[in-house]
Amino acid sequence: MSQHDDDANNDDPIRDERFADVRAALGLAVAPVAPSAGMKAALMASVAVTPQLAPLAAVASQGAASARAQTRWFSRPAMVVTAVAAAVALFFGGVLAADLVGPGGPSASDQLATIVAAPDVSTVVAPVAGGATATLVSSDSVGLSVIVFDGLQPLSDEERYALWYITDGVATPAGLFAVDGDGDGAVVQVLVGAFEAGTIVGVTVEPASGSPAPTTEPIVAIATA
Amino acid sequence: MLFFVPSETTFDDVVPPADLTVETTNALLLRVATGDQRAFSELYDVIAPRMLGLVRHVLKDHAQSEEVVQEVLLEVWQTAPRFDPNKGKAVTWMLTMAHRRAIDRVRSAQSSRDRDIKIGIRDLDRDFDSVAERVEIRIEHDRVEKALSRLTELQRQAVELAYYGGYTHSEVSQMLGVPMGTVKTRLRDGMTRLREELGVAS
Repeated sequence: MSQHDDDANNDDPIRDERFADVRAALGLAVAPVAPSAGMKAALMASVAVTPQLAPLAAVASQGAASARAQTRWFSRPAMVVTAVAAAVALFFGGVLAADLVGPGGPSASDQLATIVAAPDVSTVVAPVAGGATATLVSSDSVGLSVIVFDGLQPLSDEERYALWYITDGVATPAGLFAVDGDGDGAVVQVLVGAFEAGTIVGVTVEPASGSPAPTTEPIVAIATA
Repeated sequence: MLFFVPSETTFDDVVPPADLTVETTNALLLRVATGDQRAFSELYDVIAPRMLGLVRHVLKDHAQSEEVVQEVLLEVWQTAPRFDPNKGKAVTWMLTMAHRRAIDRVRSAQSSRDRDIKIGIRDLDRDFDSVAERVEIRIEHDRVEKALSRLTELQRQAVELAYYGGYTHSEVSQMLGVPMGTVKTRLRDGMTRLREELGVAS
């Protein structure tokens, strides 16, 4: 733990190891405060993609090769953490959350939490025609994907955004949604149907009643590995 | 008087303490050490409100405090495999991390936004009574308050300013108008006395 002043640990009773339990008692005497609703979800999402340190005993016996492998593994998830945390933060920012909770079904937040907790969670960010961005969070093992938009333009009452799972050139409808004109174009959608790795996720603009197949050019198409 | 509760605390966001015993937190942290995310979720429910209470008490700003608690809890997750229950209690380890991070934050903010030393003095006069409705918290609080009341005035003020306020020795010395050496002595004596009064192991 870094120090920001000239007090050395062994010279500072407030940091001295011997007073650890006194400090804990002083800390527990403060009234607890409830964290905000989104904090736990954001943290659990980060935890899901953050590897733990090896126990000290294991570190001592590790060879150079495994140490290098560990370095690679440690440096990788930083981007994923950021993207997933952003998606979760956006989600709990309250965007259209109510629309996503189907009667009796699992809530979108539960589904998103399940996906980000999966060992094979994958996050792809792509630009959308018109300046918005789309982030697809998916897991093959869970069989679900969630798409998060930022800056998506509202449509007329007669139109809806349509989500598609595209496999081997065949598009399967994966849900319709609208964008609230008052908001900042932030939308979180759980795709309807089963997600499989390798599937392309596309978004088109369709009539409000929906279409059996895409009738316009996709505004974004995201390939998954 | 003590200043356990920052002025912005309202009764609404004071939550009942979850099961916070040495045994449960130790057991939970050992499960977390094996990569158990469910255990981490349970640990969060127990420790996050206590961490946030303490960190916000030091930092005052709620959003910044949540940021600090999130950072600390992610570090708890990462370093849990290195926690050794033979060397200390989980609850002590976790609260120490949170307290240090809060103090680091409040001190690093100092250069850009000079902290008002007078506010620290005024805080000392704040009363706990208006907020401490929960019996469990009240008992804990009373135990610590009683222990603090056994200290000399200077010892108590030094401990409160340094621990709850995150003030450096030189700031405390300035605030109380006593030399640095005296602050250090009073702090050490105060903490030693508290350890005896609270009956906690060294």
